[in-house]
Amino acid sequence: MSKTIPTRAKVRVSIVIALLGTIAAVLAVSGNGIRTAGPVLVAIQPLPEDGEMCPLISTSAESSLFASMLQERSSREAMPSDSARAEVTRRKPVRMIRDPYLAYSAVAVDVAHNEVVMADENLFSIVAYNRLENTPAAAKMSEPKRMIQGMNTELEFECSLYVDPENGDIYAVNNDTLGKLVVFSRQARGDAAPDRSLDTPMGTYGIAIDEKNQEMMLTVQNDAAVVSFRKGAKGQDSPLRTLQGPQTLLADPHGIALDPGAGLLFVSNWGSVNEHRKPASGPVLGSLGRGVGRSNWPIGMPHAVPGSGKFMPPSITVYARSSSGDTAPLRVIQGPKTQLNWPTALAFDPERGELYVANDPADSVLVFKADASGDVAPIRVLRGPKTQIKNPTSVNLDLKNDELWVANFGNHTATVYKRSANGDTPPLRVIRSAPIGAPTPMMGNPNVLAYDSKREELLVAN
Amino acid sequence: MADGNAQATRQIGGQKSMITRTIHDMAYNPIRDEIVIPQYFAQAVMTYRGGANGEESPIRLIHGPDTQLTNPQRVALDAVHKEVFVPLEDRVLVFPSEAEGNVAPIRVLKGPDTLLGADALTVDPVHDLLIVAGPRPKGKVEAGASGEASGQVLIFNRTDSGNVKPRSVIAGPKTKITRPWLMANYPPRELFILTVTSVERNSPTDFVGVWSEHDSGDVPPRWTIGGPNQLLRQVRGIALIPQRKEVVVSDKYVNAVMTYHFPEIF
Repeated sequence: MSKTIPTRAKVRVSIVIALLGTIAAVLAVSGNGIRTAGPVLVAIQPLPEDGEMCPLISTSAESSLFASMLQERSSREAMPSDSARAEVTRRKPVRMIRDPYLAYSAVAVDVAHNEVVMADENLFSIVAYNRLENTPAAAKMSEPKRMIQGMNTELEFECSLYVDPENGDIYAVNNDTLGKLVVFSRQARGDAAPDRSLDTPMGTYGIAIDEKNQEMMLTVQNDAAVVSFRKGAKGQDSPLRTLQGPQTLLADPHGIALDPGAGLLFVSNWGSVNEHRKPASGPVLGSLGRGVGRSNWPIGMPHAVPGSGKFMPPSITVYARSSSGDTAPLRVIQGPKTQLNWPTALAFDPERGELYVANDPADSVLVFKADASGDVAPIRVLRGPKTQIKNPTSVNLDLKNDELWVANFGNHTATVYKRSANGDTPPLRVIRSAPIGAPTPMMGNPNVLAYDSKREELLVAN
Repeated sequence: MADGNAQATRQIGGQKSMITRTIHDMAYNPIRDEIVIPQYFAQAVMTYRGGANGEESPIRLIHGPDTQLTNPQRVALDAVHKEVFVPLEDRVLVFPSEAEGNVAPIRVLKGPDTLLGADALTVDPVHDLLIVAGPRPKGKVEAGASGEASGQVLIFNRTDSGNVKPRSVIAGPKTKITRPWLMANYPPRELFILTVTSVERNSPTDFVGVWSEHDSGDVPPRWTIGGPNQLLRQVRGIALIPQRKEVVVSDKYVNAVMTYHFPEIF
């Protein structure tokens, strides 16, 4: 069975500098001393300081590295004492890199109750504010009206949200660490258990709900799929249908939005994919062992075809609402004119016939006509220092109040604009969870570390 | 040294980086000054300049059907012998560090005698060892043993290939190895370090364990950081800073990177 490792959401490699003084990294040190006690640097040979890769690798470089590792003693020594081991076990860290503030990953407006709801991937919470909250520049932050947080909530790396326009229920999708979609009533607060939860495929990301047909659609990164459930699905319920296969052109799908009038589904794709092929015989297994005994479950990683991996340009693929199986998109928005760059979330405006795209690393929101196809430029681009948009991971539309909301994972804010905002337009309002200018480590499941001994930096993949 | 609410000094990301949201391992090559990252969805191993910043493309890719790569999650480097190791559950693939494109591995460690489970690995180029952690094969867990016996560490010769037996197996209840996650090693002391997590979220038993490369059998770790009821809750990544005698650990549930002073192992 395939073992897939949960990650969080915001994946980028962050490098945190380590100011280490003057001692060169031991891996860049040559030495031939033999010691019977603690380590010693016999000779120091710092790496070049220019920061560029050396194109020619001398044999002596490997020899020096090898020699540096020969220093000191072997560990063929007695087990340390129990007291010494206990002291180490209880040892506290000397440093901890951690963001103490909420980092908004998703936003949804509750028009009926005049509130806005945010998911926070840093402290694992859902928070609600008054819709018109506007953090004063002099304020440290805005305090939420309600916060859902704690072990009972089953919240972790919640990457997308939906608020039921009728009753204010909050739907929150966990990406891949807990494998659940959780639903809370709008009265929930504190360490409340969700009213219901649904076990979801590994790597579920985006959510769109079709109120007319009472269905919800979810994107699945790991299986390059879209799964559709009854809106009220819970527990081990099976999908109603699954869209998956090479003809779909789904490739690391993230955002999803519905055009209810035209019955169309829009999906944003980052572009990396491999093929999962249904076995000729035997059971169809889901990724990470999920989906056992459930019908319409996406074909999982155990059925990945070796060597089928592809890098494709980012795209938005468009399907009929009820598409299933290995169905080709009706059209594709893709190409350099589109400016798509890790298109992470989508929102559809049925009144204006426009599609909004959170374009994470480009610090922009792109707007396309609903019928856009091929290599087309967006009709509007919201971007620039005045916008305060930084690593947007969610967009949401408030049609009643003619507003666009953006969750900015990169600067502790959610920002609000007129729906038609374009260019470098300042927000109408800002909700901020940290002091202005507070550093943003942007850590979300720091799964991996490496140490760059040349630059004395920690590399952290999130 | 970075601490608290630190800002990253640079970031590698964006479309041209070819990175996806699913990075499960990474390695730095101090000789070539390169960063190596497995690409899970596109089934590739990507190499970047050590100083890569922003939306920067990899300088090399191992990618294509001849590579035998299937959703690689982990990677390890042997900078001395210029090789890249990729564990893929039931096998370990080895490529030259300079490999590029659709190339076949130069060695494949695979077969029933290997006892793999290959989830994470590390290479000791001085003592010519390949140390592999993963789940124990079915039928190898002692009757009545708890989840603490479900993981194992296998030690091979560095250049082993094909269906070979490991030199030694570290497994059993005393090891407390449930789910091995990521590894590092420190050749001067012939030690390896393993992050061990449980299936539980917010588990007070997660820890970082240190074993000798000479250990074999049901051997407890020589040293542990964390667990039980210490700070670690879902331990993940590991990195060593020998000149500072520090071990750096990341934790998913704490959502933080923690540095421990740990002179005992250096």
